[in-house]
Amino acid sequence: MSMYSPYRRGFGYYLKRIIFVSVLLALGFYAPDIMTYYNRLDSEKILAASTFKNKTFSTPVQEIKSSGMTAYLLEEHSVPIVSIDFKFGNAGVAHEDEEKQGLVRILSSLLIDGAGKYDAEAFKDTCEEYGIKIGFDYDNDDFSGYLYAPRKNLPKALEMLTAVLQKPRFDKEFMTLRKEQLKTAIKSKMENPEAVLAEKFSGFIFAGHPYSRKAMTVLKTLDNVSEDDLLKFMQTHLSRENLIISFAGDLTKKDVKDILKSPFAELPEKYAGEKMNRIELKLGGREKNVKYKSAQAISFFATNGTYREAEDYYPLYLANYIFGGSGLNSRISQIIREKEGLTYGIATYLQQNDAVALLTGSYSSTPDNFRKAQNLLLEQWQKMAQEGISDKELQQTKESLISSFNLRFASISGIASMLTGMQQYNLGRDFLEKRNDYIKAVTLDEVNAAAKKYFGTKPDFVNIDVKNKGE
Amino acid sequence: MMNKFAVISVFLSVCLWVQAVYAGLFKAEEFTLQNGLHCVVIENHKAPLVKQIVWYKSGSVDEQKGKGGSAHLLEHLMFRGTKYAKDGEFNRVMEKYGVSDNAFTSHDVTGYYQFADVSKLEVLLAYEADRMANLNFDEKAFEAERKIVYQERMQRVENNPSSPFYERLNLILWGNNPYGQPVTGLPDEIMGLEYADVMEFYHKFYTPSNALLILSGDITAKEVRPLIEKYYGKIKSHKVIRKNHETAKQNMHEILEMSLPKVSSIKVYDKYMLPKHDELKNKIYDYMVLEEYLGGGSTSAMYKDLVLKQKKALSVGASYHFVTRGESVFSFNMIPQNPDEFEREGALELLQQSADEAMQNLSEEKLAQIKRKMSADLVFVNDNPQTAADWIGAMLAVGFTLDEAQSYEDNLNAVTLQGVKEAYAELKKAPRVSGVLLPLKHEKTDKGESK
Repeated sequence: MSMYSPYRRGFGYYLKRIIFVSVLLALGFYAPDIMTYYNRLDSEKILAASTFKNKTFSTPVQEIKSSGMTAYLLEEHSVPIVSIDFKFGNAGVAHEDEEKQGLVRILSSLLIDGAGKYDAEAFKDTCEEYGIKIGFDYDNDDFSGYLYAPRKNLPKALEMLTAVLQKPRFDKEFMTLRKEQLKTAIKSKMENPEAVLAEKFSGFIFAGHPYSRKAMTVLKTLDNVSEDDLLKFMQTHLSRENLIISFAGDLTKKDVKDILKSPFAELPEKYAGEKMNRIELKLGGREKNVKYKSAQAISFFATNGTYREAEDYYPLYLANYIFGGSGLNSRISQIIREKEGLTYGIATYLQQNDAVALLTGSYSSTPDNFRKAQNLLLEQWQKMAQEGISDKELQQTKESLISSFNLRFASISGIASMLTGMQQYNLGRDFLEKRNDYIKAVTLDEVNAAAKKYFGTKPDFVNIDVKNKGE
Repeated sequence: MMNKFAVISVFLSVCLWVQAVYAGLFKAEEFTLQNGLHCVVIENHKAPLVKQIVWYKSGSVDEQKGKGGSAHLLEHLMFRGTKYAKDGEFNRVMEKYGVSDNAFTSHDVTGYYQFADVSKLEVLLAYEADRMANLNFDEKAFEAERKIVYQERMQRVENNPSSPFYERLNLILWGNNPYGQPVTGLPDEIMGLEYADVMEFYHKFYTPSNALLILSGDITAKEVRPLIEKYYGKIKSHKVIRKNHETAKQNMHEILEMSLPKVSSIKVYDKYMLPKHDELKNKIYDYMVLEEYLGGGSTSAMYKDLVLKQKKALSVGASYHFVTRGESVFSFNMIPQNPDEFEREGALELLQQSADEAMQNLSEEKLAQIKRKMSADLVFVNDNPQTAADWIGAMLAVGFTLDEAQSYEDNLNAVTLQGVKEAYAELKKAPRVSGVLLPLKHEKTDKGESK
């Protein structure tokens, strides 16, 4: 037996307890309340006695306007690092010409294969020697970029970023190489059954919409993409009008003004692409089984969700958090993973896309467990719609979400990308000050109304069902 | 009776030694409790956050033969109850206080971490200390968790069509050494594990003298040290005896070629087994520079040669794995550019020729540039407080000292051209295993010729 039990306090406290308990025992009393207290950890008591108290992180977000652009800045001078996070809305994969699929993907790598006077080798050598990270990324909706650098090398970093945005090179040698690499990478990715199913899923859910495009199509269309196409896409889709930009770290308002002036003010003024319209999807109740050989059966499921700006966003956010969004503590994890051991992981998410908002999720398990897991999931799904959540669950979830609030300030680059998210969803400059109040204001009725509405229909399932004959 | 001992131990919980080392990469201080728990406190005051990681210096290589997966299953069961906290309580408490937490198992170590608002620090200390000493899960939790790790193995390994190749390659490289076995254990081994197997591992290895505690964030050593004493100081310790493993065969070069269904592209690997970091001492920096120079990304010598100049590869890289108690391993990898012209011997020769040629071209000037590049990123390790905790912890858990972690930049700058060249010469004499992974249809296009 161990000598240790962690509820213990100081010597004096302890000694008094021993004497007290000894006395009780000596007198033959059974003192269940004291013994219970002695034999369990009590997180609330630990916290109440703790010397570490809540500190608020001072988070004044500054708004800086220049040349039609609006930027957010959070100054943090304790680490000599700067982070710039930017995003061009309506410039992602779903905005490519159907015949030129793959354009956005190779643009993201070719932009840093040399720029201006730097060939690819000189560009990358210079960035590495100065600790400058410049990179681009994409999703269905957006094209995004970042700059992360030591403060002392900011001038060099901006010189490099300016070259990238203003004088891309797209050298022929790299056009060919990146295309071949991309094709190989796509084929490799599609070795994974989850990636195969993800495509089947979006093909089913978004049939006919650009979101349903398949990575394998890129293998055929990629060679259609020319240097001119890339330049044209930059002219039409990477503009000041659809730019969202954020700054964090060892920067001042003046620095931000200067950076907006160059390179960003030199971007085209107007966006000349086509914005994504919202679509109405009637999801729910369908099931499609795909035949594919893999060790586990896999399931992706979805129904309609709600948009970030909608009235019922926070209520549904909390409902989903309790149902499947909070990791091992979620209802479905507790039942399907922790209790029954049917899967390594099951979770649900609220997914925000420009065209549609989803309540979606996934799990995988060996074929013998697969339908059992699905039945339990559906049982909980229905229960969520019919019974909603309890007030206790609501209070605990609020406490959790408020307690974890400060984690978002862990890194300078993380702060910058969070500021971009705030602008993307129009949360307001004061969002960080108000966020916990938004959580606190959610009522039980609101959560249960959202649960009833969104969990009211069975989700659509698309499965790799190893046992099933499939399509 | 027990209680009296505990009271006395409060007085005995004085540290053995303290060393304040603020010179170096991190603002870190270390001390060791009387029960042998090695502690490192790292300061990062950007935000009111703290990360705790407890590293046990034991992983899957310390398992009994045939009990593959027991270290990993134990890692899962550490969340399933103690004498003082019932099954589910740990997760509920972490959730309630907004803690982001998880755990990991490798060949060498098992680690448990939480990242939280600093106001919750004492809860983290209490619950982590509790499960260091008082693990107590029931049979039902054991059965469920064994099924879960089996599903984890299916999801992470069996679902991936390339896995048989990588597991086989590792087995050939290590032979009978337990580093050749997968950390997850094999599916049959997992399902054969029993309650007692896991508890045996726990009682043998989960003890303060075999653990390392890292706290990183908005704290000072002065503030947290009494708290560490309070929660961990009374845990009884015992001596951990670790088996010495057989080292790899000398003078070997084995080649594995495997064709697998669903694999889409050819991959070539060349692996060299080098001495352990504690034998190599500062020579590990020569190999780190070698890794960066030969195959560290798209500006490396071999990338420029094989991908850009000769156009024979779509990608090429090198990696050096030395943060381990076992032998360190230097690897090359390549995806050939023209699968139709692929030929195994030629591909392996190409890798060697390219590396040889690069070594002939390595100049003082180039070496200086590599060092500049490797130093330029160091400023970022003090951004997220989790980075320093992970970096220092990973090194110290396998036998490096804090001083070595702190003096990374100095050690790097001390690397000489001669040293790197010697390192490469040693590498070429090292035991070697090559592997070629092929799509199954490639075999067919070769008219069924099996290589």
